[in-house]
Amino acid sequence: MALSKVLLGPLALRRLLPCAIGHRQERALASSEIRFAKLAQEKKPDWNRAVSEAEKIVGYPTSFLSLRWLLSDEIANVALHLRKLVGSNHPLLKTAKGLLYNGKNNMQAWGLIVLLISKAAGHTADIPDMEQDKAAGVLHSQRALAEVTEMIRTSHLVHKGLVNLQPPNNIDPTGDMMFGNKIALLSGDYLLSNSCIELANLRNQDLVELMSSAVRDLSEAEFVGPRDKQNNPLPAKPKTNQVEYTQFTENNLEPLVVSEALGNAQAEWTLRHVLNAGSLLGKSCQGTLKLAGHSEDLQEKGYLFGKHLALAWQACLDREPFQHGSSGPFSLVCAPLMFTLQHKPELYEHIEKGMDTVDDVDYELLRKEVIDGPGLELTKNLQKEHSQAALKVLNELPASDARTALANIIAAVQES
Amino acid sequence: MASRSILNIRFQEKLWFFCSPGIVRRKSVLCANGVVKNVPGVQPGTGDALPDGNRLATHVPNNDTHKPQIPTAWHPCVRPEQNLTARTCYGSQIRHFATMNTHRPGPMPDYQVDPYHLLEDDLKDVYTYVRNALRRNTYQEDLYEIATYYFDGNGKAIRPMVAILMARAINYHMYKEKSGLLASQREVAMISEMIHTASLVHDDVIDQSDFRRGKPSVNVMWNHKKVTMAGDFILAVASMMIARLKNDDVTLVLSQVVSDLVQGEFMQLGSKETENERFAHYLTKTYRKTASLIANSVKSVSILAGADEELSDLTYQYGRNLGLAFQLVDDLLDFVSSSAAMGKPTAADLKLGLATAPVLFACEKYPELNPMIMRRFQEPGDVEKAFELVHKSQGLEQTQFLAKQHCSEAIRIANMFKESPYQKGLVVAADYVLNRMK
Repeated sequence: MALSKVLLGPLALRRLLPCAIGHRQERALASSEIRFAKLAQEKKPDWNRAVSEAEKIVGYPTSFLSLRWLLSDEIANVALHLRKLVGSNHPLLKTAKGLLYNGKNNMQAWGLIVLLISKAAGHTADIPDMEQDKAAGVLHSQRALAEVTEMIRTSHLVHKGLVNLQPPNNIDPTGDMMFGNKIALLSGDYLLSNSCIELANLRNQDLVELMSSAVRDLSEAEFVGPRDKQNNPLPAKPKTNQVEYTQFTENNLEPLVVSEALGNAQAEWTLRHVLNAGSLLGKSCQGTLKLAGHSEDLQEKGYLFGKHLALAWQACLDREPFQHGSSGPFSLVCAPLMFTLQHKPELYEHIEKGMDTVDDVDYELLRKEVIDGPGLELTKNLQKEHSQAALKVLNELPASDARTALANIIAAVQES
Repeated sequence: MASRSILNIRFQEKLWFFCSPGIVRRKSVLCANGVVKNVPGVQPGTGDALPDGNRLATHVPNNDTHKPQIPTAWHPCVRPEQNLTARTCYGSQIRHFATMNTHRPGPMPDYQVDPYHLLEDDLKDVYTYVRNALRRNTYQEDLYEIATYYFDGNGKAIRPMVAILMARAINYHMYKEKSGLLASQREVAMISEMIHTASLVHDDVIDQSDFRRGKPSVNVMWNHKKVTMAGDFILAVASMMIARLKNDDVTLVLSQVVSDLVQGEFMQLGSKETENERFAHYLTKTYRKTASLIANSVKSVSILAGADEELSDLTYQYGRNLGLAFQLVDDLLDFVSSSAAMGKPTAADLKLGLATAPVLFACEKYPELNPMIMRRFQEPGDVEKAFELVHKSQGLEQTQFLAKQHCSEAIRIANMFKESPYQKGLVVAADYVLNRMK
């Protein structure tokens, strides 16, 4: 298993993304993953240890970059076309690199969480031996679901990375962008269609509905609040009177109400990131417990676990650009900035400068305001809240190595 | 001439190769035999069913090669003494049945069944239902607006029409008068239109088209990222609706459609295949992009009716043949129809660098098309030159001929179901597909 990871990892990367690796590294193939691991390790030791320990527990990384994928015609096709995009400025390349190199954001982690919660919760006794992966302690169907989670998430990120070429935005004299869009759109669709088939093969219609609703939520996320021309999100104008807003209907198959959350920092942030991330991870955790035959009650807890973990994760990511010595642009809907805006609504005029393109915003000015304001502290609290909510669910499960691994991952998120 | 006949036999074989085993394969041998037998006398490219009005609108550089000729018979479905159009073909069958069933109680209408008229009540609300389903799944106005843009009721709704027609025909076939349309079958009809629209929305972003159905296409109206997400949204809602049917097989069958659509789109990206593989590649692509959806949605409605595998396979073959014919006619219309009739510019496929059946056929006579196909009509003048050569050649007639064959096969299958207005509707639908103007 471990060997397959070492062998397949870099190979997969190379085949899928010939350009992401770069010419220099292409020759030093075998060492590229090791180098990558080292690089990331220097930055975030705890995170990587927690993840790699956890990977051992469920057998091997769930990454869908497996042999099956390497041999698929479509992927070969995409790789071929991606190569043509090298040298253009299409963000698809950045998305692809981000997926593979962005330590904490990497897609494997999501499938991993799904597998860990599967193992931690176990399954009911009536599931036939044939359907179990005894060595890893999960069901084959759960492994398939973990793969689906990764595919859906990757597909969303890839679709998000399109360039808006709506006329009269004529920013594409060479046709590179149009071509890149074509590849990005098709690659994303390919992942989605594969998720459809994988899910259908599990022959569990409740699960299909649940996961489809997660895809719906992801697409809904891209419509929340004001957007610049490239559809980058901007926070809504802060409301003066804060209303208490609870946005969760009991049935998570229903869509979320959006308008009332806008302008309330915490509600808006939560709404955005539940749609964007929490829904998928939550529903995947819920779905995997469904596959294991657990009660509705436990399934619902699974949903909460995934949702809170994703939000804690997001809060942690949101704080990064404000650490000592950081510079450059950051997401305008990150929690620290949204809290700061709530606290000091007059700052919104700086946000409005970015209505055309978020590049017009004075990031250094905003960063200074955030650092001087209460935003970071509030974000830390928010993160803690969500981490603890996730831990609370976790503690209801019996002690096991998988549970410990999940706790370690949460702790790693918390500490950084 | 000789070489063209061989080509025709060759693609005949390829075509029938796509048929699944069992009853259809057995019949296919028959058909292939019929073709082979008739080859010496056949002018394969000379169908007469090109609508005359269209011909006037097209650029015809050489009238001699273009004149309609009445071909000899080529298919066991068609009586040799009759002119070869699907219209006469099914017409004779309807009359045939009418005489056969005179002893039946109740009147059996001898007039032409119009599927759209027949299903008026079933179809009139399809778009409203779809819009409502999308409405229930979002509170965001702009998402709703983009997602419902093509559900304005101006589409042909051919997929829901065929699905409902098949549902009613198969229900009658299995349960006689006791059979109403199942709610789940109606859902499948809606879902087929939703999957189709989701793919249209993504196609518009990929192809950057300007017009569709006579109005600006979505990519002109909205941010491309939002449009892409709206496509995903439609697919997700459709997928939720599929899941609610609670039928594992239907979910599998309809998931296959989504996968086929994407793979078909991928096939459209590359033209690296050799001349020999090109036609098979084109047909596979056509199946995946168009026929799969129609075939699998009619299969789904028959599964929901409780049909066994043999019967649902038969419905699948009907849909597959109808779908292939539909796309072949579409590719043909791209060369002969006016922009106004189609709601989108003509020769659009050439402009997108796509070599469809008329070009591939024309290529046999004018090999100079080969390099143009390979460079995807990129060089100045390529599109115009190819357009001209296609009209000079027999490409359009040959495409029509191929479409007609698929329609005949669809009609043959439709005639295997128990006779009912809906079963006749299936026959008429095949004719409609062949003779439509847009």
